[in-house]
Amino acid sequence: MIAVLGLVVGVVVGLLVRPEVPAAVEPYLPIAVVAALDAVFGGLRAMLDGIFDDKVFVVSFLSNVVVAALIVFLGDKLGVGAQLSTGVVVVLGIRIFSNAAAIRRHVFRA
Amino acid sequence: MSDHEEQPANRLRKELPAEVPPSPSASGDGDPGEARPERSGLTGRQRLLKGLWPPRLTRAQLIVALLLFGLGFGLAVQVASNSDSDSALRGARQEDLVRILDELDDRTQRLEDEKQGLEKQRDELENSSDQAEEARKQTLEKERQLGILAGTVAAQGPGITVTIEDTKGTVEADMLLDAIQELRAAGAEAIQVNGVRVVAGTYLADADNSVSVDGNKINAPYRFQVIGEPQDLEPALNIPGGVVQTLEKEQATVTVERSSKIVVDALRAAERPDYARSSSQ
Repeated sequence: MIAVLGLVVGVVVGLLVRPEVPAAVEPYLPIAVVAALDAVFGGLRAMLDGIFDDKVFVVSFLSNVVVAALIVFLGDKLGVGAQLSTGVVVVLGIRIFSNAAAIRRHVFRA
Repeated sequence: MSDHEEQPANRLRKELPAEVPPSPSASGDGDPGEARPERSGLTGRQRLLKGLWPPRLTRAQLIVALLLFGLGFGLAVQVASNSDSDSALRGARQEDLVRILDELDDRTQRLEDEKQGLEKQRDELENSSDQAEEARKQTLEKERQLGILAGTVAAQGPGITVTIEDTKGTVEADMLLDAIQELRAAGAEAIQVNGVRVVAGTYLADADNSVSVDGNKINAPYRFQVIGEPQDLEPALNIPGGVVQTLEKEQATVTVERSSKIVVDALRAAERPDYARSSSQ
């Protein structure tokens, strides 16, 4: 419950404050958000499976974000930033979909 | 990346999404995560509800809430910055920016060309309207000049006044015609005699004791108002054997006065020729 509240508060604060995104972080923010979403869906699924562990969640969340940003950074340096970010988004999207499928099976039994 | 599928016990990486429905058999390590609910006697749904209510203020919850706060914040910021129209280019990559810049350059070039074409057109139109204005002015000027010749407009300028006193009644139409022709030869530009404008088609005829000009009877004294160069007109009348001497021989008295301002204001209606048509255009 507290976690859901945290998400809601984050969205509200982000919309209200509308902070200027630093130029250095700009290309990585969307990918980081998608990676974090993947971690959240994974965590939700783990919770439904009964194997949720907050330490694992924290580590996976942070490492997801860092690795995603790192891949984009590396891609930018190699000159294939656009393709690599597309790839990262595709992979994360597939994972989110499969996690969502597992969650759906738990919640709706279908 | 997210490793929640890991079984905390053995830390083995679980296979990616188990799309197969949860199998009741929990044998082996093929699907350990799915097998758990049966073991603990709780379904996923019950666990979800239990996690949501009642709220528990544990360290784990707080940490997860913090992370989710960060996610929500980043999400909102990204959505907000993406929906700002002016920062649409911000997230764009270098090659995209270069392409957009090229497109803009092309567009600028096209618009520049178009602008030049339109400016040229505008100049042409302005010129042509200037020319039309000029032509109109010239036409007006010409009309005035021709009007003076045709007697349809009044005229004024330097000239002379010739007065012929005819006490004996000896002056005849041909003498006046001689006078008119002499004046014309000397460069008279507009002539009127006793209120009748003398033009190209003017005729003079004798009419008992007086003279008719274009059918208008005029009586002595005959008063010519002539616009032209006075220094040319006066000597032309006064030359030996000329108009003045001839008239004086007939007992008429002639006075010639120079004037810097003669007004010829007798008018004549412009007549449209019945047959002759302008052949220019």
